[in-house]
Amino acid sequence: MAQTATARILAEVAAALEGGPPVLVATVIDAPAGATAEVGAKMLVRPDGSSVGRLGDEILDAAVLDEAPDVFRRHSVETVYVDRSGQRLSRLDAAEGDVYQVMLEVHERPATLLIVGAGHVGKALAIIGDMCGFSVEIIDDRPEFANAERFPEADRITCGRFDEVLDGYPIDSNTYVVCVTRGHKHDETSLRLVAPSEAAYVGMIGSKRRVGAVLQHLIEDGINPRAVERVHTPIGLDIGAETPEEIAVSIMAEIIRARRGGSALSMREVVRPRRGVAPEDRERPSAKL
Amino acid sequence: MNEVFRELQVSLEAGTPAVVATVAATRGSTPRRAGARMLVRADGSSCGTIGGGCGEAEVIVAAMEAHEDGRPRLVRVDLTNPLDGDDKICGGVMDVFVERLAP
Repeated sequence: MAQTATARILAEVAAALEGGPPVLVATVIDAPAGATAEVGAKMLVRPDGSSVGRLGDEILDAAVLDEAPDVFRRHSVETVYVDRSGQRLSRLDAAEGDVYQVMLEVHERPATLLIVGAGHVGKALAIIGDMCGFSVEIIDDRPEFANAERFPEADRITCGRFDEVLDGYPIDSNTYVVCVTRGHKHDETSLRLVAPSEAAYVGMIGSKRRVGAVLQHLIEDGINPRAVERVHTPIGLDIGAETPEEIAVSIMAEIIRARRGGSALSMREVVRPRRGVAPEDRERPSAKL
Repeated sequence: MNEVFRELQVSLEAGTPAVVATVAATRGSTPRRAGARMLVRADGSSCGTIGGGCGEAEVIVAAMEAHEDGRPRLVRVDLTNPLDGDDKICGGVMDVFVERLAP
């Protein structure tokens, strides 16, 4: 019986990694003496809250189901500490051997980095994005740029007019979109189509003055102001980037911050402990939409 | 799909158990974060990494024990002791969950 549940869980994990809906797997990794839930017990939770398998203690199942939405949102793997009454504890408050430790792992297909514009910055971003585990997709209207020889790291390359390609292009809440075309006209055309999407992140390159005008045009054209407001533009973190490669680093740093949460300060300036802290004590990532 | 899961599927479809070691929690500086995974086969070969020299050998030993007795275990890898002189310069602690998955 337990074996069957584990096999079903592994099959759903495999489907999630291949592009199916994300799943969360909870595994009991430590249990108090005499507890009903055994170490190694697994339960799978889907984003809609339905589940497969049980951990062996209803109180623990309930605590995991309660925690699941936050863990999905953080795309993370983390361990939670739960006492026998179902109370969440921080690691520091959890007396070892006296609490359940449950590992919560989100399994999902890799996030997509959609790069609109296959120039120098686009090329550098493709390499860094691939290195960071993103599935990289490229769009450009120039066949001599949008091709597999130039982008061996891309999973999908589309050559065509930006407005035509992006109209109806699949962009979901696990997609990060970067507009880095050769001209702000193309960036504006592209942004018009991607800003209202479900994308986890939308960024556009450009100087402060220029991007202000683009955003203004979008609002005048009736694009939802909230969608326009969330666009990261000028794009990237302020690290003094100059070259296309440095700019790509700055953009990827901003994307990682949006994805994982983080202060974007130098580590030595960060005083707040970020790990082993109960979620209620953890600062919410401000860049998360 | 990532390497560890692909290899796990290959093992299970071939009817052979495999041990998966997953970094469940970390504190301090550790080579990899929670979610890093390694698969260890019964012959001791492996794929994926939970951080290499820093404590990986201990986890492989635990994985071989799990192959023997089938019991899951939580291994605490302590990288804080500089006197070990054993490449443990990272300075943190990792909790690694080691479990045998059978077809």
